[in-house]
Amino acid sequence: MIDVTGFTKKYGKDLAVQDFTARVAPGEIVGFLGPNGAGKSTLLKAIATWITPTSGTIRVDGNDVVDAPLAVRRVLGYLPEHNPLYEGMNVRAFLEFAGRMRGLDRARLAERLDWCVRACSLEDVLRKRVHQCSKGFRQRIGLAASLIHDPRAILLDEPTHGLDPVQVAAFRDFLQELREGRSILFSSHVLAEVEAICDRVLVIHRGRLVRDARIADLRDEARDAGTTLEKLVLSFVRSTPHEVTA
Amino acid sequence: MSRSLVVARRELGATFDSAVAYVQIAGFGVLANALFVNEFFLAGRLDLDAYFRVLPLLLAVFLPAASMRLWAEERKHRTVEFLLTLPIRSGTAVLGKFLASLALLGVLLATALPLVVMLVVLGDPDLARVASGFVGAFLGGAFLLALGGLCSALTRDQVVAFVLATVASLFLVLTGREEVVGVLDGLAPDLGVGTFLLERVSILPHLERFAAGRPGLDGVLYFVLGSAVLLWATGRFLDDDRD
Repeated sequence: MIDVTGFTKKYGKDLAVQDFTARVAPGEIVGFLGPNGAGKSTLLKAIATWITPTSGTIRVDGNDVVDAPLAVRRVLGYLPEHNPLYEGMNVRAFLEFAGRMRGLDRARLAERLDWCVRACSLEDVLRKRVHQCSKGFRQRIGLAASLIHDPRAILLDEPTHGLDPVQVAAFRDFLQELREGRSILFSSHVLAEVEAICDRVLVIHRGRLVRDARIADLRDEARDAGTTLEKLVLSFVRSTPHEVTA
Repeated sequence: MSRSLVVARRELGATFDSAVAYVQIAGFGVLANALFVNEFFLAGRLDLDAYFRVLPLLLAVFLPAASMRLWAEERKHRTVEFLLTLPIRSGTAVLGKFLASLALLGVLLATALPLVVMLVVLGDPDLARVASGFVGAFLGGAFLLALGGLCSALTRDQVVAFVLATVASLFLVLTGREEVVGVLDGLAPDLGVGTFLLERVSILPHLERFAAGRPGLDGVLYFVLGSAVLLWATGRFLDDDRD
């Protein structure tokens, strides 16, 4: 569903991401792990068609992000890291705007709006303006807007940022409900979160993919090495490996 | 087009959600009408010439204030990333915001409605000429809004967008005034910069022809094609300037 092949992004002379290759299949939740500035957001922005690759290809549902960006956006739900929302709108109007811009007709919009409000527990703030909502609610509003069109691929950039522990736990359950038939890629720098939610993890460091492995396999590896999962993952980002492990 | 209307509707909601829009409309209406009425009673003629004489300068200041937030605010709050990762082309969003700003322009010009009513009550004005003046003002205003939209896309700061658009708009208006043309021509008589700007660049001669009831195709083309080029440039800039 999401295919990234040899993706490289340069900003002037600065290399943000280099030769990144990965795939997220339907029904799979993949965690994208790395320290701040590692290139996680750059890759997600490129998949979301916000920025164009310097080289390499990215396909979503078979559509190339450069050649067919509109087709990609139709099947994609994207929650950027900074969660941009129209502050002055009321929550319902904002979600309706997102749905209309996605081409939902009146009946479908009503149906999806109802689903999103229930799924993201937004009943209490539906009539409030966005700027009146707490950080946790704002995060859920952004999530609801990214899901309003029932996307087949979902990109979430630090989605649990600002959520309290109860909300994080609810979010984990919610992602598991969402996973059927959908490819979900979410970035985080919190290993415990990725471990709890994901089937597989992509570890990125200094713009390069340093590990692509199933969580279960990493646990086994850590056990065999007599260390913890956290220390094992830290070892990936402390060194600068030259080989990409698929 | 339908998505552009969705964008326009949201934009209009945001515009009229703020007191700034009402202050702009009231300020524009009071200023334009007061300046007209003053000259109207002195001249004693049953037309809106005095209104259309002062209008270009007012539009050159008030329209940048209306267009400054169009993209600068989206860029500042990063909602542009949300908007332009929706399944629409940049041009669709640019057109939507332009349509919303046109609606505001319509409201600004509608503040002159009492003047038209007053003329009709007082006598038998040349309504075709009045209508021509308003069509010119609308087209010229649309052009300035498209220019203001481009200036707004160039920066995240609304004040910078306002200053850029005001300077550019005043340039397009003032280069049509005789005294400015004279000064510019006097600086370099061989080049004839002032005359060149008057004949080829300034919007004022076109607006004056509309106000005189003699709209020309060149004026319509100038404003329509000029607006289209500026809207296209805004879309291109938004496509190219992403981080």
